[in-house]
Amino acid sequence: MSVFSLLLVELKKIRRSKIFLILMIPVMMMWIPSTINAKMNFDVRGIPITPENNFFIQGFMGMTWFMIPATLVIGTVLLTQTERSQNGILKMLSLPVRTSTLCLTKFAVLIFLSMVQMVFCIGAYYASAAIASQLQNYNFILNPSFVCVNALALYWGAVPMAAVFWMFAILIKTPVFSVGLGLVSIVPSVLVIHTKMWFVYPMSYPFYLLMVQYGKAAEGMYATQIDRMPWLPVAVIITVLALAVSCIRFGASERR
Amino acid sequence: MTFILETKKLKRTGYLPAFLGAGIISCAFPVVNMLARSETFTSLPGNPFEILMDANWQMMAMLNILITICGACIMYHTEYADNGALKMDTLPVKPIRLFFCKFLITAEILAAIILFQIIVLTGCAVYWFPDSAFDFLTILKTAGFEWLVSLPTVTLMLLISSMCKNMWISLGAGVILVFTFSIFPQDNFVLRLLPFSAPYQTLSMADENVHIQLFCMVCVLQTAVLYLGETLYVKARRYLA
Repeated sequence: MSVFSLLLVELKKIRRSKIFLILMIPVMMMWIPSTINAKMNFDVRGIPITPENNFFIQGFMGMTWFMIPATLVIGTVLLTQTERSQNGILKMLSLPVRTSTLCLTKFAVLIFLSMVQMVFCIGAYYASAAIASQLQNYNFILNPSFVCVNALALYWGAVPMAAVFWMFAILIKTPVFSVGLGLVSIVPSVLVIHTKMWFVYPMSYPFYLLMVQYGKAAEGMYATQIDRMPWLPVAVIITVLALAVSCIRFGASERR
Repeated sequence: MTFILETKKLKRTGYLPAFLGAGIISCAFPVVNMLARSETFTSLPGNPFEILMDANWQMMAMLNILITICGACIMYHTEYADNGALKMDTLPVKPIRLFFCKFLITAEILAAIILFQIIVLTGCAVYWFPDSAFDFLTILKTAGFEWLVSLPTVTLMLLISSMCKNMWISLGAGVILVFTFSIFPQDNFVLRLLPFSAPYQTLSMADENVHIQLFCMVCVLQTAVLYLGETLYVKARRYLA
């Protein structure tokens, strides 16, 4: 079976899971209050930032801090639990497909789900920015290339975290631990990004990237440049290591 | 009988260790915070315990909510995963009794964790602030209040998970609720009374606005209403299915 058809099979499996609803509701929840309270963006409290940048960053703040990681955790639950009933995973493992390919395809679906959320997010941003511009008589709409590049960077920064969550889901068969660990690990990222060692904690990457964007838009709030040097190699190592471990251990408890 | 059965069901799900783990992590939070930057807090004027509550409770309450969500999902996941709920329906046990026992278990564990958290916070206050001492009445009062305001969240989350056969949907709903209440403006008083938002309230904050009684009453009322909701849902499910 080619990787592509395997991917299509995996996508077919989640067709009726209502996951797209779960991806979409938080996006709408995020932009409705920020559209209604768009007026607050003019009150910058002495921070040198333009209202349209403020609107963009405040809107994405909750998303990157909490919802991107939480969505990934939900995605891992979806991917591991859909095949639990009637031992679906056993049937998949008996197919002439390498288990590591299967594991990586499922991971690709996880990334695909977060990309879908990104598209929803960009769409919702433009809708709410357009409405807010009408309501406040001020142009909140930012350049599409700027918005798309930034949103892509935030979600791209979530890939190492996704790999780590996927490793949790495979290594820890008891869902309460894998889910609990995932959710609990979100909370400290607020503190971690203010330390020097933020790059060893993959759950803080998207938030860090957004904070750098904040620093660029408002002088003196945070770093204005992304610290690429220790970060990129560490991120690659974490991702590769997590994926390697999950490929090796995928289906191990079923094969025993 | 049902209560013992319910605790047995949880034995191999890792429910208790997960709660304990989350409790320990959340208790480590103020300790690490004080170790890292104690001067920031010791230089503040006011009651040491209240300073620590203001500095740390948001995070600790959030961890409590997250673990409650996780626990509620697991409790009903064990029922639905292998059609256990169907088997339970054939037993001479009222479905609402299951819900009540699950609620009782969660509430008990949460009470223990919250009490422990408040004791750790008091311990931090005693250790880092020279002029403060253990006051058991304050500890009990604060823990009791924080426990009471988190009960509607527990009930609502159990209600959601009893409605969803798939764990990712109940988990998703819980996480979305946490997210929604974290982005809504905090200055709206009515919003702060709702489940998923009330647990962030500290006793001193409620005391300032003379809202303690209101909070307690509203939370007990919400718990009762949600419990009634589950009773109706269980009845309706029987007729619809």
